[in-house]
Amino acid sequence: MRTLTLIILTSLCSLLLLSGCWDTKDLNHRSLPIAMGVALEDDNYEIHLQIPDTNQESVEIKIVSEKGQSISKAIDKLSANMESQIDLLHTKVIVIDKDLATKGFKDLISGFMRDREVSPKALVVVSDEKIETLFSKLKNTTDPQGTNLFDFFDKEAGWNPQISLTRVWQVYRSFYSYTKDVAIPIIKSGDSTTVEHLGSAVIKNDKMVESINTEETLLLNAFYNESTSGKVEVMDEATLMIVSNSMDHKSQFINQIPYLKSQLNLKVVLLETTDNPTTKEIKTSLETLLTERFNEMFTKIQESEADILGVGQYFRTKIPREQLKNWRSEYYPNLRMDLQIHVVIQNEGQLKLVDH
Amino acid sequence: MDEFLIKIKNKFRNNDDLFLQEEQILDVSVIFIGFNTLIDLTKTKRTLHKHIANAISSKKTIGELLNELGEVKEEDMTEAISSIMKGKLLIVIKDQHKYVILEPVPKLLSRAIEKPTNENVLQGPLSSFNEDIETNIGLIRKQINSSKIRAEFFSVGPEQKTKLSLLYFDGQVDKKLVEKVKLLLEKNQDRELNNLQDLTEVLGFSGWSVITKFNVTELPSETVPYLRKGRIVLLVDRFPFALIIPCFLWDMFTLENDRNFPIPLMTSIRTVRVIGILITLFLPALYVALVAVNPEVLRLELALTIAQSREAIPYPALVEIILMLIIMELIIEATVRLPSTIGPTITMVGGIILGQAVVEAKLVSTLLIIILAATTIANSTLVGIQNFLAVRFLKYLMVILASIYGVLGILGGMVLISAYLASIETFGISYLHLNYEKEGTKYG
Repeated sequence: MRTLTLIILTSLCSLLLLSGCWDTKDLNHRSLPIAMGVALEDDNYEIHLQIPDTNQESVEIKIVSEKGQSISKAIDKLSANMESQIDLLHTKVIVIDKDLATKGFKDLISGFMRDREVSPKALVVVSDEKIETLFSKLKNTTDPQGTNLFDFFDKEAGWNPQISLTRVWQVYRSFYSYTKDVAIPIIKSGDSTTVEHLGSAVIKNDKMVESINTEETLLLNAFYNESTSGKVEVMDEATLMIVSNSMDHKSQFINQIPYLKSQLNLKVVLLETTDNPTTKEIKTSLETLLTERFNEMFTKIQESEADILGVGQYFRTKIPREQLKNWRSEYYPNLRMDLQIHVVIQNEGQLKLVDH
Repeated sequence: MDEFLIKIKNKFRNNDDLFLQEEQILDVSVIFIGFNTLIDLTKTKRTLHKHIANAISSKKTIGELLNELGEVKEEDMTEAISSIMKGKLLIVIKDQHKYVILEPVPKLLSRAIEKPTNENVLQGPLSSFNEDIETNIGLIRKQINSSKIRAEFFSVGPEQKTKLSLLYFDGQVDKKLVEKVKLLLEKNQDRELNNLQDLTEVLGFSGWSVITKFNVTELPSETVPYLRKGRIVLLVDRFPFALIIPCFLWDMFTLENDRNFPIPLMTSIRTVRVIGILITLFLPALYVALVAVNPEVLRLELALTIAQSREAIPYPALVEIILMLIIMELIIEATVRLPSTIGPTITMVGGIILGQAVVEAKLVSTLLIIILAATTIANSTLVGIQNFLAVRFLKYLMVILASIYGVLGILGGMVLISAYLASIETFGISYLHLNYEKEGTKYG
């Protein structure tokens, strides 16, 4: 009995030694980059990292950059040159240079998914200007923790419904999905604000093929059922706030031509009016405005053969698997889309609208 | 001097508090033997003289009088000695080998019934047990006032016997359980019984269990409901606590006194205690896991704040937390040891160390101090000192596992602790039993 206890105790003690707890690094000995910028230069990746450098009193933002044949090679070089280990686990935003985005970034995203260093939840963003310029602007922030770029996209902080949100895993999924593409936001450094949002890049497979503006992105988000509340819509007569939205879809597949009938239900609140329009006028003008805007956008993305709305999802049960892979090239360009917008004015704000 | 007296004298030699006093009762010379440290001799004599006066007036013989005072015994040496030890007065009739064991007026050697010193009562009965076993049983009888309370006495010990009393509520208690306990107490009558570890052995439990198998309370008002719920109460002489078996996990969170509050308040008080055990077990472990092994679990802002608070700290998280936990244990232990006049000094000095100095010296992070304080406070919400100590001990297991395996280690530790708790059983009744009073009699 006594020897057995001894054996158990000894093996437990050796467990402590063999566990590998010596290679864990404390939080203050790790560098936690918040944003990573990736550009392609002569077949070499050039990466920029935005790292909050903590010291006792404050946080300073450090921008470091390195080149390498692969991302991990570049990170490794950086890590060797820095006083603490670079840990990508808190990287929230991946900024891709526009040139790289148009050339295709499949290897990059697959690499992120493969080595699991970067969280699959990190956001993917396209930069309209040189990464270096954007990051140097980020450095001059007064944000106490240097999370400004992440806060811009954070739903609990600076996110707005006209900004699309696409994560690494969603981009990765779109490489292999027959029927779903993604739109990723385009930004550049702003004049008075740190970041300026330009719209969304339409990605087909792994290449950026088209771009849509902010208003079109709002419709896109409405299509995803991403809450559009808070958005202010300006028209000739009134400014409205969309408080809730829902969508209904009916798909039909007749004679090899897909038909999609969608209804977008919006509930809005009146914020400002000019010249006392009636509720009916406001309703019809909002409906026509949105329908026109949607049709314009839809034609554009239909021509680029990128299914960012994911309408192909509604036909997966109707088209055989072998032909589904031709969805983008054969069926999608012929899709007849019929969007009906139904607006309910939920309330008229704090003032009553006088009907004439 | 006769042989009998010499024997007794020899037995108690070098005991200066033993008195042998010659007296005359009804013209027969007798000798009083006893310890003057246990017997109030003057008062005893005064009572005795009343008896004698009565006897003279009703013309009784010496034999009749002695029979009245107590049982008359002959020659039985061991009985005589153990009676003296117990604080009885021996009246030996000179030149005859006869003696009488008399119940004297004892010296007051027990404290009065006082307020509890280990448990605080909020809005409830205040009297607590003291060292005298008879007083304790009396307190219980006073509290419950039922004819169904049974109190059986045992004495355990090889030479000096310790009195032990087994109380239960007839009709509620599981008869088989009582039989088992009784059998064990009778079987192990010759064992040493000085402390609870001994009692654990007498009852056949393992002494290595972290969780004690007795629920300990010093309040009659807490003890009686347990009796009514079919539990067994053990009282040990000179031990001012009631030991309740079997003991369950849920006892850690409940006090009978909670029922003096409305149900919503009672529920919330108990929830606070459950939160208390969770915080004690998980908070220090989470600190180690999140700082050293799995920082990806933290929100970015929190990660940066923690990193900032740990800037320039020389130790790894595990060493840091173990160091401070040990200092905390030392402070707790010191405040228990020291008399209450010096106690506040320790509190003050400890407060300086934990409050400011350690952080300012950049030895540990501010966050750790918060976690340490929260853990210690949370730990104290548990009912029963024995549970407080057990959880305090188990938290180290969690910290070490967390330092090795991170968040996964915490999960592992939780599974280990749960499995351990599930493995504990008292006479076949699981420690995790939730509804013993209703279905308990089926087991055991």
